[in-house]
Amino acid sequence: MKPALLSYHCATSIEDAVAALAAAGGDGKIIAGGQSLMPMMNFRLVRPSVLVDINRIPGLDTITLRGNRLGVGALVRHRMTASDETIRSHIPILHGVMQHVAHLTVRNRGTFVGSLCHADPAAEMPMMTQFLNGTVHVAGPQGRRQVAVGDFITGSLTTDLASDEMVYEVDLDTFPEGTGWGFHEFARRHGDYALAAVAVTLEREAGVARRVRLAVMGLDDRSRRLAEVEAALEGEAPDAAVLDRALAALQANITPNGDLNASPEYRRHLANVLAKRAIADAWARAGERSRT
Amino acid sequence: MTGESLSADRSVELRPKMVGKPIRRTEDPRLLTGSGRYVDDITPQGTLHLALRRSDVPHATIRSIDISAALATPGVLAVFDASALEGEILPAIPTSRMKGYYATPIWPLARGKVRYVGEPVVAIVAESRYAAEDALEGVIIEYDPLPFAIDPYDGAAPDAPLIHEEAGTNTIISREFARGEVDRVMEEAPVRVSGRFRMTRKTALAMEPRAYLAEWDRRQRALTLHTTSNIPGVIRDVLSECLDLLGNRLRVIAPDVGGSFGGKGSLYHEEMLVCALARKLERPIKYTTDRLEDLTATSQAFEEVMDAELAIDLDGRILGLRADVVGNIGAYSIYPWTAALEPVQVVSFMPGPYRFEHYRGRIRGVLTPKPPTGPYRGVGRPSSTMAMERLIEMAARKIGMDPVEIRRRNLVNDDEFPYRTASGIIWDKSAFQQCLEAACAKVDYPALVRARDAARAAGRWVGIGLASYAELTGIGSRISVAPGMPINTGVETANIRIDATGAITAAFGIASHGQGLETTLAQVVADEMGCKMEDVQVLHGDSGLVAMSSGTFASRSAVLAGGAATRSAHVVKAKVLRAASILLDVPVDDLDAYDGVVRARSANATLTFKEIAKAVYSQMGRIPREQREELTASETYDPFFGTACSSTHLAMVEIDPETYGVTISTYVVAEDCGRVINPLIVDGQVHGAVAQGVGAALLEEIMHNEDGQILTASLADYLAPLASNMPRIQIVHVEADLPATIGGFRGMGEGGTIGAPAAIANAISDALSPLGIEIDTLPATPERLFRLVEAARSRSAI
Ligand SMILES: Cc1cc2nc3c(=O)[nH]c(=O)nc-3n(C[C@H](O)[C@H](O)[C@H](O)COP(=O)(O)OP(=O)(O)OC[C@H]3O[C@@H](n4cnc5c(N)ncnc54)[C@H](O)[C@@H]3O)c2cc1C
Repeated sequence: MKPALLSYHCATSIEDAVAALAAAGGDGKIIAGGQSLMPMMNFRLVRPSVLVDINRIPGLDTITLRGNRLGVGALVRHRMTASDETIRSHIPILHGVMQHVAHLTVRNRGTFVGSLCHADPAAEMPMMTQFLNGTVHVAGPQGRRQVAVGDFITGSLTTDLASDEMVYEVDLDTFPEGTGWGFHEFARRHGDYALAAVAVTLEREAGVARRVRLAVMGLDDRSRRLAEVEAALEGEAPDAAVLDRALAALQANITPNGDLNASPEYRRHLANVLAKRAIADAWARAGERSRT
Repeated sequence: MTGESLSADRSVELRPKMVGKPIRRTEDPRLLTGSGRYVDDITPQGTLHLALRRSDVPHATIRSIDISAALATPGVLAVFDASALEGEILPAIPTSRMKGYYATPIWPLARGKVRYVGEPVVAIVAESRYAAEDALEGVIIEYDPLPFAIDPYDGAAPDAPLIHEEAGTNTIISREFARGEVDRVMEEAPVRVSGRFRMTRKTALAMEPRAYLAEWDRRQRALTLHTTSNIPGVIRDVLSECLDLLGNRLRVIAPDVGGSFGGKGSLYHEEMLVCALARKLERPIKYTTDRLEDLTATSQAFEEVMDAELAIDLDGRILGLRADVVGNIGAYSIYPWTAALEPVQVVSFMPGPYRFEHYRGRIRGVLTPKPPTGPYRGVGRPSSTMAMERLIEMAARKIGMDPVEIRRRNLVNDDEFPYRTASGIIWDKSAFQQCLEAACAKVDYPALVRARDAARAAGRWVGIGLASYAELTGIGSRISVAPGMPINTGVETANIRIDATGAITAAFGIASHGQGLETTLAQVVADEMGCKMEDVQVLHGDSGLVAMSSGTFASRSAVLAGGAATRSAHVVKAKVLRAASILLDVPVDDLDAYDGVVRARSANATLTFKEIAKAVYSQMGRIPREQREELTASETYDPFFGTACSSTHLAMVEIDPETYGVTISTYVVAEDCGRVINPLIVDGQVHGAVAQGVGAALLEEIMHNEDGQILTASLADYLAPLASNMPRIQIVHVEADLPATIGGFRGMGEGGTIGAPAAIANAISDALSPLGIEIDTLPATPERLFRLVEAARSRSAI
């Protein structure tokens, strides 16, 4: 479990990193926190010829509120996302989600953007980027571009990123005050990748749910928003009949896989349990004054 | 007190003692500040590194091996397969006098065929581990696949393909323990309960993976092996035969070792390999397993299926037990314990701490193309206790009796010791009943039951489970740790000396690898000798220290090394007092030693140990020539039989009725380990062992697929318990009558792993009892609970 021979480039700027990637002719890899990359390199599943280290690039470790969007720089670690006050008040669901991600040492290194670029179907950050209508900011030899997250993640562990491109930021929706949220996941141990997860936000207007968002993870080959479930809840109070319809829509829109920890049947079962809990929490929290 | 005491002088008893005090571990400052020295920290100049190409098929003959590309890799010095090592080293043979047993020879590299995925086939020697791994893919091995049976029941069939043709069978272990007329008793019994219980495969998972460093001294023609082993003495003795080197030219050292839990307690291919290569190449050779190799090629544990049936009468009295156990022992029998160690103890210990006459336990150990199984903390008893304690609670439920009451009626009583169990094990007196009562008292059992019932009435899934067990510890030479094994584990030596500077060194054959024995043995020596504890340096883990040694395993070290320490310290103290008597001109009887000072009771005269040492060794003429004695002693201790250590665990769990996640809310351990040398260390051992038992109960499982490939090849898939899985563990030390060992010590390092799986399985079963679910397989994962609940619901729907 030792990586194959490689050379190392410590980038000083975004342009420098991109130039180093371009010079590697498709064989370079960015290292951010290294929490997903290093295990893959140790197993020799990935063998970059050049490792481009972005950890010393100044200015990438910031979380910035711009109007109703929030920018997360490429060196924002999980620990920062989990404890940031602006996130806690403007995207409380993200604050809640981050408490489930990995363990202390991993959180100190791992980055939000690194997780997004890794695009693991069982990871919370890609799920939340979709949930929050993320826009991915990409730098390449030809300049900079922006990609909607739906176009960025192309499948399990694959993205739209070219081999000489780097993500320097992702920006996300924030929520108006009073938005209710619920997030539930089930993992064998705290901090493990979850077997399944469900995220919900909604606003409560005149006794019904509005602007409902619902996303799932671990129930498909990738995490995704489920429009049909959202539609089943939109404009309704989540009573038993509405919930039944929503859960039916949920079941119709997932195709869970089996693995060592969970069969497809058990994942389907969990999907309902977690969705019910997340919806109930979101409904209960809606209208609460949480912003400070 | 019945403990054998060598101190004739009662006045010593009045002084504050080291034994019994919660003294902080003296090894911890170095281990916790990064100053420990583990095998991988040692890299002599010129060290070469090894990488192994391991088999990626479960059962096949090796048609050809092409190493040319590997040899051409930069940094690579040599590449070996079995044929290139021919004549360099003899195989180790894990012999046993057991009937019908076949001892599979252990070679450093696979010869002719491979028998499990992960078996070492080709060794690459290079300037660095990186270079060695670069060369791994350059090795081209052609295999001719052979048929195999991965399931032990298939493997035991008469026409099954053989893993070792020479054995003529895959069932290389068959034993039966029987007493009374169990079949008749079963037939006539008013109440019977039975189950097919499964303890799945585990791995010991030490934090430090296995590592070996062999150095050949060309000048002395001698070999030194640094190894992570917890049995350096046994390793020295067997390698002496394999390498044809006597002990004065072969030294085996276990420096700081980061845990074993049994996984480092056997001889390994790689251990043989580094020695053979270091001698052949005349360069230091190092090999450190990575986590992938640790999970695939360190000895594994359990994998037993236990068909067991218990008969009771309507008063809850046990009438008889019958068990048929099949163990999947993997592809080899290991050295020195043999593959019989674990499965045979499952049936020899299954009757547990209970009184009953009629028993039959059968075991078959079957070879399959999986990694070899070996010792694992608790050996046999985590499985046997799980089966027996499940049956006890199933029986209690069936007759509507409280699970505490049924145990009370069947645990051996104080006046029945020594008690010979139905399988022939003899329990000396231990606090069987008192541990049960103490555990219940600690948690206010009736209140706990009320709390459970209230939670249950509110729709919550809450349950209470117990496990009572006894284990044999500190085993002497009368009993073989593994049946018919050719080594002696029943003796321990303590070589104690005071040198010319007054320093006290106590050298042992044990090999502490986390147990804190440097602290506890120093406590024992200090008390017995009357010296200061901090003046005692405990040496261990080095075959050069004493003439014969084995190591630390089987909860033996406190009992055996503690006893030997007491004896040697007693002899040295007598010499110190005799010297002081001459120096002070006071009769010996008037002298006593305490805290490093010898005092006369009747006169105002004192001498420190240091002054006495100086006088004896360095100041000519102070002691008359014919009375001068070296202040040294080397005494041994053999407790002959062992001594029982008993315990009751009690757990309360809550299951999320929707996700099936299990939370342990209450946990208590009441145990009798005899005289407690150091309560902090005993508590630490209990905490760690219970954590391991929680892993076995809820999380840990080595899985292979039908093709013999491991599925749990990283710690993302093999789930060990985390801090967040652990309850607060309450511990009650029941110090009842002391056993007849020197010092009154019992062994206790393994107990937690024995009680926890059973107690948790019982608690989960109790929580699910409204659904009629009995847990029979561990770990009780959410997936397994989901399936059980679904099945129970569809049953009740019919
Ligand atoms: C024990 C453990 C537990 C974990 N548990 C969880 C969990 O519960 N939930 C969860 O979601 N994750 C978990 N993770 C994964 C963790 O979140 C990783 O940190 C994350 O997946 C990757 O972030 P990183 O900064 O470490 O990226 P790296 O490992 O450095 O990189 C990952 C990939 O992204 C690329 N990359 C990184 N940054 C950029 C960039 N700016 N532009 C372009 N490409 C880039 C790299 O080239 C590489 O391909 C766990 C990891 C470990 C080791």
